[in-house]
Amino acid sequence: MLRLDVNGTAHTIDCEASTPLLWVLRDHLNLTGTKFGCGAGQCGACTVHLDGAAVRSCVLPAIAATGRQVQTIEGLASGNPHPLQDAWIELQVSQCGYCQSGMLMAAAALLAINPTPNDADIDAAITNLCRCGTYGRVREAIRRVGACSAKCAKELPV
Amino acid sequence: MSTEDARSGAKRGKTTSHKRRRFLLGALGVTGALIVGWGVLPPRSRIGHASMFPGVDGEIALNGWIKIAPDGAVVIAVPRVEMGQGIHTAFAMLVAEELDVPLANVRVQAVTSERIYGNIAGIADSSLPIHPDDWQKPWARAVHWLLSKTGRELGLIVTGGSSSVADAWLPLREAAASARAALIEAAARQWRAQAASVSIHEGMVIGPAQERVPIGAVAANAAAIGAPSEVRLKPASSYRLIGRPAPRIDAQAKADGSATFALDVRPAGLCYAAVALCPVLGGSVGTINDAPARAMPGVLGVVPFDGECGGCAGVAVIAEHYWQAREALERLQVTWIDGPYSTLSSADIDHKLSAELRGERDGFTYRKQGDGLAALPSPGTGIVLDVEYRVPYLAHAPMEPVNCTAQVRGGRVHLWAPTQTATLARMAAARAAGVDGDQVDIDVPLLGGGFGRRLESDFVAQAVRIAKHTGERPVQVIWSREDDIRHDFYRPAAAARLRARVTGRDVDAIASRSVGQSILDQELRRILGTPGVGIDRYTTEGLFDMPYAIPHQHIAHVNVDLPVPVGFWRSVGHSYNAFFLECFLDEVAVAAGRDPIDLRRSLLYRHPRNLCVLDTVTRAAGLGAPGRIPPTDGKRALGVALHASFGSIAALITDVSLNNGRLKLNRIVCAVDCGTVVNPQIVRQQVDSGIAFGLSAALYGKITFEHGRVRKANFNDYPLLRMSDMPPVETHIVESADPPTGIGEVAVPPVAPSVANALFRITGKPCRSLPLEL
Repeated sequence: MLRLDVNGTAHTIDCEASTPLLWVLRDHLNLTGTKFGCGAGQCGACTVHLDGAAVRSCVLPAIAATGRQVQTIEGLASGNPHPLQDAWIELQVSQCGYCQSGMLMAAAALLAINPTPNDADIDAAITNLCRCGTYGRVREAIRRVGACSAKCAKELPV
Repeated sequence: MSTEDARSGAKRGKTTSHKRRRFLLGALGVTGALIVGWGVLPPRSRIGHASMFPGVDGEIALNGWIKIAPDGAVVIAVPRVEMGQGIHTAFAMLVAEELDVPLANVRVQAVTSERIYGNIAGIADSSLPIHPDDWQKPWARAVHWLLSKTGRELGLIVTGGSSSVADAWLPLREAAASARAALIEAAARQWRAQAASVSIHEGMVIGPAQERVPIGAVAANAAAIGAPSEVRLKPASSYRLIGRPAPRIDAQAKADGSATFALDVRPAGLCYAAVALCPVLGGSVGTINDAPARAMPGVLGVVPFDGECGGCAGVAVIAEHYWQAREALERLQVTWIDGPYSTLSSADIDHKLSAELRGERDGFTYRKQGDGLAALPSPGTGIVLDVEYRVPYLAHAPMEPVNCTAQVRGGRVHLWAPTQTATLARMAAARAAGVDGDQVDIDVPLLGGGFGRRLESDFVAQAVRIAKHTGERPVQVIWSREDDIRHDFYRPAAAARLRARVTGRDVDAIASRSVGQSILDQELRRILGTPGVGIDRYTTEGLFDMPYAIPHQHIAHVNVDLPVPVGFWRSVGHSYNAFFLECFLDEVAVAAGRDPIDLRRSLLYRHPRNLCVLDTVTRAAGLGAPGRIPPTDGKRALGVALHASFGSIAALITDVSLNNGRLKLNRIVCAVDCGTVVNPQIVRQQVDSGIAFGLSAALYGKITFEHGRVRKANFNDYPLLRMSDMPPVETHIVESADPPTGIGEVAVPPVAPSVANALFRITGKPCRSLPLEL
């Protein structure tokens, strides 16, 4: 039995401890927004947050997530959509959409530690693969949210 | 007739139609569809009847494409699958436009049967070796008519060939206009008014005295009235949606993770399967020791299967959860029987292609003009260029690996299948389950990319075979990424020898002899069990139909028999023929002492549409029109490529830097003419997508073989373009009043030659093979 905290809910799961977190999320918890792309940590379609940091859940044994906070695309919006999700729709980022959950989670983790990333920061952090070539709009969405947060920070009294 | 009788009567009718379809498929393969007795077949309306699109939960069908839901939403039949190309949004826009309802009120419903949903444009518009200059000739029109009629009879439901909008353009708008006319007539009768005084605006029917009712309120009466005998379509000047950007209807679900792809379906009782696929081409399963695997937790069964529909043999492990199946698969002990191709290597394939290229075997001549080949041996006062090009096999590698969910229960099959062709998937499933096609229900969820891989039905037949051993539970068969890359139907490797005679500043003769496998031949074998007649337009598309006015032309292709499975890969033959021709033209330009744009312009006087696209891209790139490629500083240069495919034309100017052997793409400017544009935002997305796809192939893509096995496995050794290497893309759409033509594949072909031509300019060394070597 494995105890996992996913999107703020505690779960007890009957599975082998070595099962990759990806398959626990998809098959046991029915959180299918997190995608299987390569099974080797290469493509990032399975990106989730572990204590706020982006990890590739296809190569992370579920047991490594016990006692930590797991957040998936289903939990990215807390009440209101994450600003990235709004930007994603505004800029019409998605095409086939399969890699986009992972893209969004990687982008959200980047903005959490670096609210105003430059292009090099984005290139370094977003190594997810997209076969539809949404890269340009992914970059634009991250920059837009980053610029907005910089503007808000300036307007707020410190 | 009692209800029971009516049902069995309907069933008989359907069975007959399936039989007729099978017969027609056979006729198409064997005879090229030329000897079917057309006189006895009635013409078919593609609007269809309400009975073809049955309403559920109070929906009222007005014809085969349109239903009105109780909440006033318009539900439309969508027989084309959404794999990123935005087709659900485009179809919704066409209906919202013609019916005058808000786009947000249109919902889509996937449909997988009924002949009216067949894709006629996909079959008739770009599958014959007819040169564009001949399209208006009576014989070409007759052949096209015949093929369109074949298409109507076949009703082949397929998403491919960049044909979805082109195909739906008339019938879908006619269906919406017909629904609109019926709704107006129903309201007019209710109000005792003339139909001409009633209109629909934003989903409300409006009467002469400004009466207003939602369309849902008159839907039942409209259905009773039926379709008018003829309808008038909106003129382009009245469009309020077509031609303007509109948000994709799938954007929200794809931003919050709720979009349901094939891998996300969860029917009750679902179990999972992982597969071990025979690693050797043409091999089979030998012995299996499954005891250790069966002893693993959660395992429900071990099922060997033969390859079907061109797929390979293998063994499946079925388990309660997918990871249990994968873990158990590791314990499975299988010996494989090698078969006849176990020594095949990429070197052998290269050798065979080279031998055929230089050999004497006649292929098929797709184009002969002027003196043809006779013009070439004698340079006369000029010179003859004689150059060889080469491209490798490529995998599709969609982000969603191959998968299929199937349930076999009570003599019926239910598929949740990421298929680009429901018609062929149904045939494959029926054959695998030993049932009639009528007994197969298909749900098609969203596809995480397709690119032609999901035109095959190997994975469908495989899932059905496995589903026969799950005690009637649905099973989701999931291939690993390694399975996906090693067991693809690859873009064929090909080689071409191009020759041209250059006299002074002009080129007056061109010849191409290309060699490679025929996709059509393999497809016909897979689908019908019979080979084609050796003519395959896909092998030379983009070459035989070149727009360039070179007086003497000879374009031939020799089909080469090799055991590698090949299939349709985004832009098919165009993907390499554009590389051959557009790179060769830059070599010709150097030999002729001409600027590459200037040379192309001088050869396009018969094709003003192509010329306009070229001028648009040079203007957009800041080169003016007529433009010239500026001189290089030895580190940075522009490359141009122009290519027509799927009825559309695209031109790219790519800005490339080369520093210490490292290539950087600074910017790509694209101009495209794809006829009337439904949604320019989606056209731009498709150009971005085609460029990313084309760059992955140009820079990295190469599938290799050793000992009859594919040597590539995952994204570490079959890399795809990453964000850091994606250049900014600027797309300029040429305005057009012509009907819509393709866009999904159109940007792919010019990518590799535009990069290669820039590199050629920088280094002075022509690029003649892919992926590009720096």
